This record gives sequence, C-alpha cells and structure tokens, in this order.
Amino acid sequence: MTTADADGAPEAGPLEGVRVLDLAQGIAGPYAAKWLGSLGADVVKVEPPAGDPARLAGPFPGDESDPEASGLYLYLNTSKRGITLDLESEEGRGLLRDLAARADIVIESFAPGYLAGRGLDYEALRSQNPGLVLVSITPFGQSGPYAGTPAEEITLFALSGHMWLTGDPYRPPLKNGGSQPSYQAGLNALAAAIIAHFGSLMTGEGTHVDLSAQETLAGMLELYGPFASQAGIKPRRRGNTVSAIYGTYQCADGYAGVYCLPRNYENMARAVGIPELLEPPFIDADERLRSNDMLEALLSGWFFQHSGREIFEMGKSHRFPAGYVATVEDLLESEQLRERHFFAEDDHPLAGPVRFPGHLWLSSEYAWDTRRAPTLGEHTADVLTELGVSDERREQLRAGGALGGSDGS
Amino acid sequence: MSPARRPLEGIRVADLTAMWAGPYATMVLADFGADVIKVEAPRAWDNLRTLIRPPLALGEHWWNSNAYFQEYNRNKRSLTLDLTTERGKEIFGRLVAQSDVVIENFRADVMERLGIGPDWLREQREDIIVVGMASFGKTGPDASAMAYGPVVEQLSGLASLTGYGDGIPFKTGVSYGDPVAGVAAAAAVVTALIQRRRTGRGQVIDLAQREPMTTLIGEAFMEWAMNGRLMPHRGNESATMAPHNAYPCAGEDEWVAIAVGSDEEWAGLCSAMGEPGLIDDARFATAPARLDHREELDPIVAAWTATVSKDEAFERCRTRGVPAGPVWTIPEVLGDAHLEQRGYYEDAEHAEVGTWAMHGWLWRTTDAGPCVLAPAPDLGSHNREILGGLLGVSDEEMDTLAASGVIGDTPIGERTRSEIVGSRR
Repeated sequence: MTTADADGAPEAGPLEGVRVLDLAQGIAGPYAAKWLGSLGADVVKVEPPAGDPARLAGPFPGDESDPEASGLYLYLNTSKRGITLDLESEEGRGLLRDLAARADIVIESFAPGYLAGRGLDYEALRSQNPGLVLVSITPFGQSGPYAGTPAEEITLFALSGHMWLTGDPYRPPLKNGGSQPSYQAGLNALAAAIIAHFGSLMTGEGTHVDLSAQETLAGMLELYGPFASQAGIKPRRRGNTVSAIYGTYQCADGYAGVYCLPRNYENMARAVGIPELLEPPFIDADERLRSNDMLEALLSGWFFQHSGREIFEMGKSHRFPAGYVATVEDLLESEQLRERHFFAEDDHPLAGPVRFPGHLWLSSEYAWDTRRAPTLGEHTADVLTELGVSDERREQLRAGGALGGSDGS
Repeated sequence: MSPARRPLEGIRVADLTAMWAGPYATMVLADFGADVIKVEAPRAWDNLRTLIRPPLALGEHWWNSNAYFQEYNRNKRSLTLDLTTERGKEIFGRLVAQSDVVIENFRADVMERLGIGPDWLREQREDIIVVGMASFGKTGPDASAMAYGPVVEQLSGLASLTGYGDGIPFKTGVSYGDPVAGVAAAAAVVTALIQRRRTGRGQVIDLAQREPMTTLIGEAFMEWAMNGRLMPHRGNESATMAPHNAYPCAGEDEWVAIAVGSDEEWAGLCSAMGEPGLIDDARFATAPARLDHREELDPIVAAWTATVSKDEAFERCRTRGVPAGPVWTIPEVLGDAHLEQRGYYEDAEHAEVGTWAMHGWLWRTTDAGPCVLAPAPDLGSHNREILGGLLGVSDEEMDTLAASGVIGDTPIGERTRSEIVGSRR
C-alpha cells in the first residue's frame, strides 16, 4: 500500500529517520503512533505477550472473535512494526531500555506510576537519551486527585462537560458516537509528540508530555466554557437546533442540516425560494429570532421535499452552509473523498478487503504511507536483531519468557 | 526553576484564520511559543470577536474582551491590514517574507481571489509553509462548499453514530469539527517545520476539516467493510458493557455516568450501592450476563443513584475502582477539584472586564510554567510594533493607512457595548 510519486520511487516521509516506540494500548496512543508511522517514522509497537486489548474489541469479520482480525486493532496500528515484550520480566525491561535509548519518541498509556514502578520512568529513560520525548496519555493525567481513577468514554465525556451539552433538552444527556474521548486524546497526543520532537531537535532537550483526556476535552467547550467563566452563563443542551437557521431537519431521504450565521441567511433564503423569507419579519436578524417557530415550520416543509444531497448541492451553488447526515457508506462512495485519495485500502489475509481513512491532510511534499497492522510479535526477531541481539540470545530470552509467544520467524 | 524554553520559539506565523477551527490551530502554536501574528482588517475582523453580542459579551469594546474570542486567541499579536487594498497586500507580502507559516481557514477560493495564493506566497518567501483549512479541501467537486462545525460533523459520519436509538441523529453539543481540525492543523504545521529543517523546502498543506474528523470513527468503516453493517445509535449504552448509562441522581437534571466492564468493577459497584448481595445474583454474574439482563440492571442502578447526589455517586464509585463521572454542568467543570489541583485553569486579565479563568495547557510538559502569558490582543494593538519594528513602515505612513482604513483599531461599523445595550432599553 506504499504510495509512490509519479516516477514510482517512494517519497521520503516528513518524519523519515524519527524512531517511535508505541507502548500504548487501546485507542489513543496507537492512533497517534499510527499517523507518525504514516508520516515516515519508524514505529515499533510493543505489545505485552497477551497482545493489545484492542485485538479483542472487534469488529470482527462475521462476528468471529480473532485477535488477528479485529477491525479496531487493524485500523489503529497501520504503518507500525510489532514486537512483544514482557515488562514484568527484568530482561523484557532491559530490552525496553535499550529500545528507548535509541528512540526519539515513546508513547505510553499505562496507569500513572506503572512505568516508574518498573524503573522505566522518564528520568530513567532520558538519562541515556537526553533528547527523548515521552508522551504519557491517561484519562486524568499523572497528578491530582483523580489520577489513576479508571475511566471509560462515557465517564470522560461526562466529566469534561460535553455530555451536559449533548442531546435532547427533554431527555437525558447523551454520549456522542464511537469512542471520541480516546480518539481526541490520541489526536492531541499526535500534535504533542510532533511539537515536543521539534523542540528536542532545536534544543537537544526532550520533555515528558502529561496528556489528560479530560483536559483535552475541557479545552474545547466552544463558547460555553469561556462565557460560563467570564459572564456566569449557565448553558444547557439544546439538541440539534439552536435556531431555525442553525439546526437539523428531516429531509426526503434522512436528515440534513442548515447551520447558518446571520450573514449566510439571505443566500439560504434565495435557495429555499419561498419569497416571504426575504421579507419582514424574516429578513431582519432580530425579528427573525422572534419568529423562529414560523421560520422553522416553513423550512421543515422545504427540507422534506429534498434529499440530503440536493440540500448540500444547493448550499454549494448558493453559498450557505448546508449538509446532510452521511453514513460511512455515503462517505465511501463520495466522489470528493475519492478524488482526494482519502481512503487507504488493504486486502488483509484474515479480514479481507477493507477501506478506511488514510490521511489527516494533504501535503505538496509527501504522500501518506499506509502499511497493514502487524500480527502479534511479527517483527520481534527483526527489531531485536537491529538492537544487536543474536538469534541465540533471542531464543534464550524467549525461553525465559521475556518475549512472550511466537515471533513469526 | 525557570520555565523551559517553548518548543516553537523563533517560529513566526502569519495567521489569517477566523472563527474557531483556524484560531484553535494557532492557539496551539502560540501556546507552544510561536509568534502568531493575527491578521485582520478594520472592515473584515475575525467574526469570533462579534459572534456573540452584548449583553452576553462583556466589556465596552466587547470585540476585544469577550471570553469566546479571548479563550482561543491568547498569546497572539494583532495586526490589522486590509488585504483587498494594494498597499495592504504589499505590506502583507513583507510580513510573509519574515514568517515561517501562513495559515488560513477561508472558503477554498478566497486566497486566490485575494491574489495571495500559494504561488504569490512563495514569491514572498521561497520556503514558506502554507496551510489552508477549507471545510472539504481545496480540490474535488465539493471544494466550494462552505460549512461550520455541525455540517462538518454531519459529513464526517459522526452524526450518523450519535443518537438515542430511535433513528434521529444528534450533533455533539459543541461545534466538534472545529477543534479537531485545529489540533490536526497544528500537527501539520510542525510536521512541515521538521521536514523543512531537513530539506530546506516549504510546502502547501491542504487540510479538509472534514477529513481528520472522519479518522475519529475508524471502527465504523471496519464494521462496514467486514460485515456490511452500519454501526447503530447506541444512546448511552455500550455493545460490551452493562451497566453503562447516564443515571438520574437526586435533584433536577442531575446525572452520573457509570460504566462497568469487569467483574471486579461490578463488585465495586455493588459495594458502592450498598447492595453486596447482588454479587451473587446469577443474572449479573458475568459481563455477558449483565449485557443480557441490562434492562433489569439499569433500574436497579437508577434506584440507587436517585437517592444520592452525583458527587456522592462519583466518590463512592471512584474509591471502589468503578469508572464513573458526574455529568458536570459547565460551571461545575470550571470548578472541578481535580482540574483545579492540576492548575488547568489560569487567570486571564483584560482591562475592561477584570480577571476570569481560561483553560491553560492542552497538555503539560516538563517545567512548562504558566501557559497564558498574554490575553488575546485588542484589534490592531500590535500595529505599531509590527509595522514599524518588523516591516519598516514609517509613523507617517501608518497615519495615512489608518485614515484610509487599511489599518485601524476599531471594527468599522460595529457599536460599543453601551451603544448596543442602550439601544435595547
């Protein structure tokens, strides 16, 4: 799946030569490390002998659980090599120290104190590698009263204020879809790793990044956090509809939305084509708010007559912000995403053909490189050889339990 | 110990972004030490300054002091320059020549229409890093579509996964797509800086806000590829855990989220509820059994939570290793004891509104010191130091530019807070 330039020669990724150790499990850390790999870094994923728990999470082809065919794992661990190490063994810890001594970035998501308890805290790791960046991702950070408290997506969504703001005002607060707190922590960890690595390149000094999922979420409370703080405003969830021109409607084939600021209103009104929309009371922004229910009724009728795609196209041609609730199937068929080569493809030996998001942005200087996720311990032998561990020594380590199961060699 | 050097010190960003996504990106860059020069015009200022109007927006010059604008523009400098004028554009070119990065989140065609597209920018500085953040990107049949966060969320697939289970999709409370694109753009900028350091070359980044959003639902694409199924709305339920929900607590509209995966957590919850006997109930003995009996389980948990405050429910769960979280209101997030102890909120100060708290570091680094070194800049407040000090514009010419509205310190046509509030009486 390696992308190539027009001459067929692989392009150097922007992070070529950067070495990353991904000790993290689940979603957040692996998500960050996967993109570092796609950008050209050499990412070694270190799994415990039992494997990353994401291998057990699915989805699975035909719903048959298989640690080598978990959709979540396969998505989050592309463009990495995979090894197994038992950090509960002294020899496993020694190998990790050796790997960290050569790494630029280490990403981990253990509970606070886990690495320190094994002599692998930041001070220990940087003593042999002063430029090292360690990114620690946890639900609540390394310090403070909640540090070490277990968390799930829904509890982080609640503790960051987002759940209070999401959902129908007449129903309970609602968690948004998927695993957003973890993905959000992962995206922030990606930026954190890259920025800290740049700092290390400039000064020779690494740093320890303490990233709390709760804090990354609490930093994105739009106007609600700031106005609560400065002006004492107490917002509450408002469902899909803030006003008639800022909301979601049922359309002919599903749901569509128009999310206009006052300055977009007239363009929208022209597209809708109901003449009264361009007359009082609707033409004036303040009057319009006082006639909000009437406007909502008029727009409801219009939405119902059009498909989501038609409404989106009208937004395009008349220049107002309109969209529709797209499913992943819609996105896979999107001409726009196809033209931008957004999806990576893989014909996985166990999982079959899969297509999934393959980049975060496009650059004039490089293409994103997607390679399939490793099987458990697939590259243990290769990576240990690069460390100077002989085949014989490797077999001793394996026999002693430092490497866990098969290395695929 | 003095605070560590910020990693992006010495990097200059010419920042044309407005609203939330772009300014969020440059907030990250500014927090980590970049010299972010926010470029606006007296006739075309960042709409975030004036999106929420008085009386909610505080301060006489509310376009400078209101919290929404302040939060995401701290640590930046402000330069006004009307890019639709020849002179404004010419001075902007000089700024570009002394910048490492130019970033914008206009509609896809705006930079070219202003005559300041990538080719022009490279003429000003050969190794410039140019970042565009159009909603759907600069290329492709949908490039001309415009969108704010909720539309980006709809067209990223996330809205299709959010709902109570009755088929109605929901948006996330905030304009979720904006900060997602913003953090991704900050990562794109610094990746380009790393590459430039090696190759000496700049680059053009085309970041479609919808695309990083779409990467946050990877498993939904895998479910479609593997099983041909769309992931359903699960409300507050989980496919693998029960109990897993928002449960009502004592009081009105008070809730606690509780999520139990393992048997140990279940034992902890039984203890928290004061129902140790439930551990022996075969209906709930294993994770699969709890899932099968979730409709019996949820009322049992809810009957307990209804008798306690969300704080007490949280404490009783937390101290027993059970994942839980009170559904904090926004003022409660601001008062969260843990965030407080970590120093997450920092004081911001503006002469017109006094002191209030804004969030500091999105993530902490060794010896970082305080994050917020300066409040968001008043419109045009750094004109003199930037135009005079950096770009060689004489005082005399600055007066001429101000007279013609190319630069200025007031949004032309906007009213002060007392004028607005007075007119409503």
